[in-house]
Amino acid sequence: MNAVQLATVLLAWAFGVHIPLVYTVLGIIWTLPALEYASRRDGRHLEAVRGIARYLIAIYAVGGVFGTIVTVFLAGMLPVFTNLAGALLWPVWATAIAFGVAVALPLIGYWYRTLGSMSPGRHAALGFVTAGFTTVIPVMFRLVFAVVNYPAGVEVVKDTSSLVGFDLVVRDYWSLFSNPTYPPLILATLLGAVAFANALIAFVYGYRGIHPETASASRRIALSFGAASALSGVWYLVELYYYAPTMAWAILGSRPPTIPAALAQVYEPTYSLVAEFAAAIALGLLSAALLVASGRARSRALNALGIMSSIALVIDVEEVNLLAHLPYAIIPPVSAAEGLASEYGVSFALAVAKALSASTMATTLDELASFVSEFPAVLYFSMAVFALFTALVLVGIYLALSWRRPAPREAS
Amino acid sequence: MSSGLEAPLLARWLSGVGIMSHLLLASMFIGTMTFAVVAEYRHLRTGDQDWNALARTFAVIATIFLGVGAAFGTLVEFGLVVLWSNFVTLIGSGLVLPFYFELYAFLMEVVIVPIYVLTWGRFRNGWYHWLVGLVAALGALYSAFNILSVMASLSMRPPGLEIVQLPQSIGQVIRYAAVFTSPAGALNMFWWGAEVFIFHGILAALILSWSGIAGITIYSHRRSPRPYKLKALRTMLPALTGLIAIEGFVLGHLQGELVLQFDPLKLAAIEGLFWSGLRVDPVTSFLAYGDTTHAFWGYFSWPASIRPPQFLPAFYLGFMVAGGALLGAWSLGLTLYYYGLHRIRGLGWIGRIERLLVGGAPYALVLLAALASVGGAVTSEVGRQPFILVDSSPSAAGPPQVTGIPVGPGLYNPTLALTPWLAALVFAVEIAMPALAIYMVYLYLKGRAIE
Repeated sequence: MNAVQLATVLLAWAFGVHIPLVYTVLGIIWTLPALEYASRRDGRHLEAVRGIARYLIAIYAVGGVFGTIVTVFLAGMLPVFTNLAGALLWPVWATAIAFGVAVALPLIGYWYRTLGSMSPGRHAALGFVTAGFTTVIPVMFRLVFAVVNYPAGVEVVKDTSSLVGFDLVVRDYWSLFSNPTYPPLILATLLGAVAFANALIAFVYGYRGIHPETASASRRIALSFGAASALSGVWYLVELYYYAPTMAWAILGSRPPTIPAALAQVYEPTYSLVAEFAAAIALGLLSAALLVASGRARSRALNALGIMSSIALVIDVEEVNLLAHLPYAIIPPVSAAEGLASEYGVSFALAVAKALSASTMATTLDELASFVSEFPAVLYFSMAVFALFTALVLVGIYLALSWRRPAPREAS
Repeated sequence: MSSGLEAPLLARWLSGVGIMSHLLLASMFIGTMTFAVVAEYRHLRTGDQDWNALARTFAVIATIFLGVGAAFGTLVEFGLVVLWSNFVTLIGSGLVLPFYFELYAFLMEVVIVPIYVLTWGRFRNGWYHWLVGLVAALGALYSAFNILSVMASLSMRPPGLEIVQLPQSIGQVIRYAAVFTSPAGALNMFWWGAEVFIFHGILAALILSWSGIAGITIYSHRRSPRPYKLKALRTMLPALTGLIAIEGFVLGHLQGELVLQFDPLKLAAIEGLFWSGLRVDPVTSFLAYGDTTHAFWGYFSWPASIRPPQFLPAFYLGFMVAGGALLGAWSLGLTLYYYGLHRIRGLGWIGRIERLLVGGAPYALVLLAALASVGGAVTSEVGRQPFILVDSSPSAAGPPQVTGIPVGPGLYNPTLALTPWLAALVFAVEIAMPALAIYMVYLYLKGRAIE
């Protein structure tokens, strides 16, 4: 297993656990105040709100920790990329982490602690403020995803004193937001998170046969937000088609005409992800059908299948988005490649493209890949450990959802 | 020092305060989790419900410290990526293995600790539950083991690790790589010298946290005496005394020998050997070699550009050594007192100083442990300045040559614009996070019958 494959496997696992967890956090954090607000007169969803809030508290740190695992893999497997990303995009990281740790964490804690001790309307308002601040985290992290799709705002400056012959420079951080792949990506993320969280609420409550009113409301939210998220996904794909052609090629299976034939080899993706993309569409339709069906017939099997299909959908979509970049860590825009070729020559443009590939970023200085190739047992052991802990995360989620506060006991 | 080697002072302070705050949270997690497992063990052995209640209380407190500590760890990690972005390349090129193994520890902590708390009373055989807690506590210790191995490498370059200064930078950012001469060399991150550093750090974390817990328990016991508090103190104080003795007499001594070997300049700085050239120092010689005849290179033998600050003896000799010794003595006195040994003939003097010994203990234990910890951390991390991955090699003409990667442009993010208001904001967060954890523990204890 070479360094790129190792990085791909490890990152795919970490993303596969991290993304569903943080999607539920993001979706729930918007859903809870909405449910509270809807309950302000009759309190119909409040019991469900308490149960879901307990899940939120239990899972926020676990989701965050898997995000840290992603960063460790990035630093370990793609050190040059992580280094450059840190140096180039530091305000983006800093804002995300400041909001994630310094603002969102205490706010979520305060919101949870004041649940039931404030009027539902006021508490819902606090919940929406909390949700707003928490949303800054994905708003920032998705910007990094957008930059690796299409590095809008990042300039390539020829530099003979640099080992790779050029420097990457961001002169105006606001220009990063002009990335055309960013608006549909963030929209699909936010809408998808709300849809996913509500689908899970509906399926879990349907499976357990409790809180039918909340399950029904969540089912409607999941369907409507899911549809909107799918439309945003289509918009995202259109933007990828024009601005990140390697990704579009990987997902759709054929070279987009936006890539000139002369550059076909440069932009050819490593993997064809047509089957995975088709699976995402099928899983989306299946989840929607199961949502509708579970509202009409009480069946534990339907709901269990719904839980699995919606989780599989989120994982599949994220893996497609992650793997479609390969062979690149940052996809060089076609227009920039043409511009560099005309200004500095074809060989320089090709050198830039090569430097932005995942293999350059991974293998240049990769100690872990060398170690694992010498001791492959470490990797197999890791896989077993990671699989075990993924299962234990699910156990922990189940325990958090079924936990009851014990009666206090006076010690002697 | 104005060598041009260093990064902005503000960035150093941000990292320093952030790491200290994280160390406090991590130490408290290690200490409370370990005590929970010890308490549950005693419950299972004796059937005493007081121990069960103590174990459960400390398990929840550990969870609070874990939650806030993990979040804070993320802050520190991104601080590394943002402030010291070029250090990331060194991680990937040479220091990656402990970070990779840290993931196992991380998973053990973050997944198992909540399971431990949420499964209380759910196992028919309590020993299975205790095993879950033991795995969580081992996860905490293993996490410390890996991170401390990286910190050890910064002070003492592991065998086989070579620093490569690139002929040209990569994108004006990456200037150095640290590479092992063979893939198996990565395991040298855990060589015996690193293990001394690691266990010194782990014991320091336990001493800091248990001192804090013991101090608070003594305060609480004096206000409202309860048998379970006495039981806790009778377990914690002898263990604390033993740990301090091992820390000072065994690990501290070995650590000193390593400093002598790897960074004689650091030794000169922390011991206050403020002269130029070789000179016999009887005290240092006795501590290092067991005789009084050895000569040491003085601090001023090295160029000013690579000398660490001159204030280090205050932190090393004043805070760490004197503070640690006093903490050990106090803890020993308290152990004797709480076991009633002051009633034995010849030890009656312990009872006569009760007011100072026990009344002052809540403040003394916390303060002395904090001073010793801060002293140790500053000695270790500032003493190696201005380098990381420090090594020394003999020189025919003068003092040993001390080398490493400068903590400056080769590590610092060159694109970062660190303004004072931004730094002030980060400082506020760095101080607020441990305060938040302590407040959450206070709220939790307030809501329980057992305080």
